[in-house]
Amino acid sequence: MPENALEVAGLRKSFGSLDVLDGIDLTVGDGEFVSVVGPSGSGKSTLFHLVGGLLQPDAGSIRIAGQDAVGKRGRIGYMPQQPALLPWRTVEDNVVLARELAGTPRRKSRAVARDWLDRAGLGGFAQAYPDALSGGMRQRVAFLRALLSDNPLLCLDEPFSALDAMLRADMHRWLLGIWEENRRSVLFVTHNIEEALLLSSTVYVFTRRPARVLERVEVPFARPRSDEAVDDPEFVRLRRHITDLLKTEPLKGPLAQ
Amino acid sequence: MSESSQTHEAAGRGRVSGKRGLVTDVRREVDGGREETAKTQREVGVAETRRGVATGAAVRRWLAPGAAVVLLIAGWQAFTTLSGTDAWLLPSPADALAAGREDRAALLTNTAATAKLALAGLGAAVVIGLALAVVLHLVPLLGSALYPLLVVSQNIPTVALAPLLVVWLGFGMLPKVVVIVLVCFFPLTVATLDGLRRSDPVIADYLLMSGASRGQLFRKLELPAALPPMFSGLKIAATYSVVGAIIAEWMGADQGLGKYMIVAKSAFRADKIFVAIAVTVVLSLTVLGVVLLLERVMVKGRGRA
Ligand SMILES: Nc1ncnc2c1ncn2[C@@H]1O[C@H](COP(=O)(O)OP(=O)(O)O)[C@@H](O)[C@H]1O
Ligand SMILES: [Mg+2]
Repeated sequence: MPENALEVAGLRKSFGSLDVLDGIDLTVGDGEFVSVVGPSGSGKSTLFHLVGGLLQPDAGSIRIAGQDAVGKRGRIGYMPQQPALLPWRTVEDNVVLARELAGTPRRKSRAVARDWLDRAGLGGFAQAYPDALSGGMRQRVAFLRALLSDNPLLCLDEPFSALDAMLRADMHRWLLGIWEENRRSVLFVTHNIEEALLLSSTVYVFTRRPARVLERVEVPFARPRSDEAVDDPEFVRLRRHITDLLKTEPLKGPLAQ
Repeated sequence: MSESSQTHEAAGRGRVSGKRGLVTDVRREVDGGREETAKTQREVGVAETRRGVATGAAVRRWLAPGAAVVLLIAGWQAFTTLSGTDAWLLPSPADALAAGREDRAALLTNTAATAKLALAGLGAAVVIGLALAVVLHLVPLLGSALYPLLVVSQNIPTVALAPLLVVWLGFGMLPKVVVIVLVCFFPLTVATLDGLRRSDPVIADYLLMSGASRGQLFRKLELPAALPPMFSGLKIAATYSVVGAIIAEWMGADQGLGKYMIVAKSAFRADKIFVAIAVTVVLSLTVLGVVLLLERVMVKGRGRA
């Protein structure tokens, strides 16, 4: 039994007097796709900043593949909420950035970058600059950049929140296809309930700030999944359940932004 | 692509529409044209008028100022001819041109000397100015300590320092280069420092979480992000460098356009002074042109390929 990709226990974080995370427990098994759903401003991105070692938690532990990862950077493949591509680098050179930071020379990653760009329908844009791409294409480039990092755990922060519904559905199909092929461990943050249910095997529902885990929902659907899963009665029931959870949750403290 | 880069050269307006056209092409290809179909139809109209807009912009950018210069010179010629003003007081453009032709050997050697001085000064200013910006950025304490001093120092008139520099450093090349550096480094340092400090924090977070060291953050984000502002500063510095060289030559020099002007002034040859001024302008524009060329080569992405 391999180690869990990520184990977070009792994680707390506040910014000055603003309590953001109030004791988060969360596990991503090896090769598992796990989502976090929560209202905006509940601290989902903050969770990633902690897991990525950018911030120090006030309390709690973070273990990546069994090893202490508190304050340790460079342990995850990360896709931030905005694509955050380097505008002066071609698409191809952006995609290899994470490997380059880890010490792999750019030219050694070129072939694999080309291959993935082809598969993402971006083959013709390897030499283009990010400002020539549409929003959806930039998201795919940022995703490939995370995917090509050598770290087994992928952390994706609301990767599709900026896209319209149709493009978003395309991206879901595309992401599921890629995930089926290599089954990386994924922690996926979203405030879209349907997206979380469609993609993951476990969904953590967060409360408003300060965030706690309101419920851990197992998603029983077989893989590979198609987007027809959304019409399944069980899917509809789960969606209703989570929607109600988030709706009936009592307001506490100042309203979430 | 070549069309859109032409438009880019022509004018900012033309560039925007050219770029939007490209983005639409890209979307059409990959997303099967579903994204923003309505807009695509509008873009076709834009593409048709784009050439017209570009032509209009080219007229405004090149033809209009060109005509203004020609009119100015013609007016000046007409005024001197009709008013019968003495040539030693205000020479006509034709007088100045004749003086330039007659003196072209001397002009050439003096221009070469000034160009050499300006480039030496600009080169030193670039090295010192950039190094200063990088150090002030990487050592924040030093930055907050020295930045205000730097700004205040710009209120010291460099020309007033010139006699002191001569006392300290003599009449050679060194004090002249120092004057040019003093005139040139400031815009360069301030613009570069600003660019280094304003790199995108979201990208910085991404790089740090992906394991970037401080050095990698600097090399892969801050430095390339600072290039466009650095070039803005460098354009100002380039222009100042030639003027700085002329001023430095007024301190005392055995050759150069500054020296040439002083000699012409003593001989009451206003026509030669005008020629020297015209040559100075051309020299300034040439240095600026080289910087612009360098910018084209070095600044990638961000709307230019
Ligand atoms: N570095 C920071 N300093 C201070 N406050 C922060 C910082 N990062 C996030 N916050 C605050 O923490 C709260 C949670 O933010 P975030 O984690 O981005 O929420 P989410 O991603 O769930 O929308 C917000 O109120 C935000 O303003
Ligand atoms: Mg967020």
